[in-house]
Amino acid sequence: MADILKSIREAVLNYDEDSVKRLVTEAIENGINPLKVLNEGLTPAIREVGDKFGKEEIFLTELLLAANACMAGVEIAKRKLLEEKQKVGKPKGKIVLGTVEGDVHNIGKDIFKVLLEISGYQVYDLGIDVPAGDFVKKAIEVNADFVASSALLTTTRPQQKLIEQKLKEAGIRGKVKTIIGGGATDKNWAKEVGCNFYATDAIEGVKIIIKVCEKQK
Amino acid sequence: MKPKLEILSNDELDTIFTTALYLLKNVGVSIEDKEIKKLLADNGCDVGSNNIVYFPEWLVKDCLKSTPKEVTLCGRDPKKDLMIRRQRYPYIIPHVLNVNYYEALTNTFRTTTKEDVQDFVRVCDFLDTMDGVWILTMLPEFKEMYMFHDFEMGVRNTTKPVCTTTLEPQSIDPTYELAAAIAGGKDELKKRPLLTICFCAVSPLSWSKEGCEVLKASARWGIQPAVTTEAPMGDTGPVTFAGDIAQKMAEFLSGDVILQLLNKGMPVIWINVHESFDQRTGMVNLASHGDFIQACAMGQIEKHIGVPIISPISPDSHMLDMQESYELAFTLLPQMLGGNNVIVVHGLDTTRAFNNELLLLLDDMVIAARRIIDGIDVNPDTLAADVIKNVCSKIKDARRIGHFLDQRHTLNWYEKEHRPRKDSVFEKHSREKWMELGSKSFIQRAHERVKEILKSHKPEPLPKEIETEISKIRKKYKIKG
Repeated sequence: MADILKSIREAVLNYDEDSVKRLVTEAIENGINPLKVLNEGLTPAIREVGDKFGKEEIFLTELLLAANACMAGVEIAKRKLLEEKQKVGKPKGKIVLGTVEGDVHNIGKDIFKVLLEISGYQVYDLGIDVPAGDFVKKAIEVNADFVASSALLTTTRPQQKLIEQKLKEAGIRGKVKTIIGGGATDKNWAKEVGCNFYATDAIEGVKIIIKVCEKQK
Repeated sequence: MKPKLEILSNDELDTIFTTALYLLKNVGVSIEDKEIKKLLADNGCDVGSNNIVYFPEWLVKDCLKSTPKEVTLCGRDPKKDLMIRRQRYPYIIPHVLNVNYYEALTNTFRTTTKEDVQDFVRVCDFLDTMDGVWILTMLPEFKEMYMFHDFEMGVRNTTKPVCTTTLEPQSIDPTYELAAAIAGGKDELKKRPLLTICFCAVSPLSWSKEGCEVLKASARWGIQPAVTTEAPMGDTGPVTFAGDIAQKMAEFLSGDVILQLLNKGMPVIWINVHESFDQRTGMVNLASHGDFIQACAMGQIEKHIGVPIISPISPDSHMLDMQESYELAFTLLPQMLGGNNVIVVHGLDTTRAFNNELLLLLDDMVIAARRIIDGIDVNPDTLAADVIKNVCSKIKDARRIGHFLDQRHTLNWYEKEHRPRKDSVFEKHSREKWMELGSKSFIQRAHERVKEILKSHKPEPLPKEIETEISKIRKKYKIKG
């Protein structure tokens, strides 16, 4: 059993999506609990890749390819858990995510999403060009822990202020935390917006969310 | 196609060469050594009054023909030998020169110590963009036999080629014996010459007694000679480029004739220093506007006369600052694009001080220049039409959402195309991240990286039997320090 989990780790580390799919299927067919595959095979592997990226030992593309390979395995394991009516386990946190209205940039946001998902968070990705009100509606609907918005343009970043305002108007600002990011933002802007957190990149954003959610527990 | 910088036509190159032959035949070269004058007279030269020797054209051409077109600079590790004129990129050889070390953090110059030289050589040994090291120190702690000390410091700290310069003929013998010991004997040393020495002609068109002594010793021992010509434009050379190059070419060719007559077929390197005399300050510059354009021409001249040329670059700036970066870039890139095969890099300041942090700046410039030399590959894989198609096929809500960051094609080609360095000291993070890391300047980051390299990189030690040989040579020649 340990061998196949080791092979899954290696396949993730080698960005080998086909092997991850094959090995996860094989592991489950051989009677290994899908939760074990998730917790002892896929998750530690992607954490290892994330750490390497954090230390600048690997490039972003390597991280994303590993994340895609990992997600392919996660999907198989999750499907099996649903079939067996096992509980996947509660997500570590719920995050409503999107690129603000008028802005169609999605790469950073997508990386952030993938990294959060493989870290065990439930992400509600509203996509790009999202009106401020939609962030608020979704946050209320899913009882979100975080609202995360991205803005790549100086012309669109005022939308992040609007999100803050609308969250206040809806009366949930005290309950939900906000985090902003994107090329047009920095610490000074974050202060002006009045958000809780600012992240220079996707990796930092994920680290902040993990830290805050773990503290809340 | 591979990018190339050419600034002289074949006709122009021919004219420069013909002028050099004219100077040798009609103006002649002043030669202070009787033995060499006799050798030249016996081989067809006219010896006039005041030590002036006139070289016939046929003799110069014959000697040039017997000079090998390729030269190998050998290191302790044969895998690190430099095959000049057979390589993909110009070789880069940093130079430790004279007695000044520049402390970048405090912006001060101080007297060099043995440890400074050894550290510099170790950093060169570590960096894969540095192909060897050239050492000429006159450290106060040694007092004499400088070339022996330089060579020993070099081979102890790198397995790459170590080139030296001598100003004292008496230091050649012990250095030769040390090189022979490392090579495994004198016969082996002939097959793999580990020792290269450089010495200067005196401009305009002269060989001093000492220079002649080194020419003779080099030919006698079969030590790889590097004939240096230095004629600052407007000072000891004409102020015009074509004239300065023609005069230096004549000076080199006279050295080559002497060496070929002493030891026919011996490989000879020409060290062509491009310098100009600054009429405003009275200083000799190696990185002024005029020096930049001479740097462009080195590769073409080398190709035309068929002898390997080493050409030094040397920023004049007194600090590791914007001027330093500008001067380094404007001499390095044209020279690399011009196809010059070996580039020796001095540090900074008119004293040619050396500095470890500068090696990291140079390292990145070399990577960038190599990338330019490689040009843009155009083939089905690099055109990436299939990858573009695949990325563009990802559509959500009537919008393309694909990108290239998660494509295997990106992984396969990123390093090949962009040559990133994972341990680069060049700051490319966001400003926030840079501030989080301490808002450090390039010099601070480079200083820290140098410290890490020196802590972690241990060069291959000399074998025990070589250490024993070194002790014997030191005893025999009474070498101290």
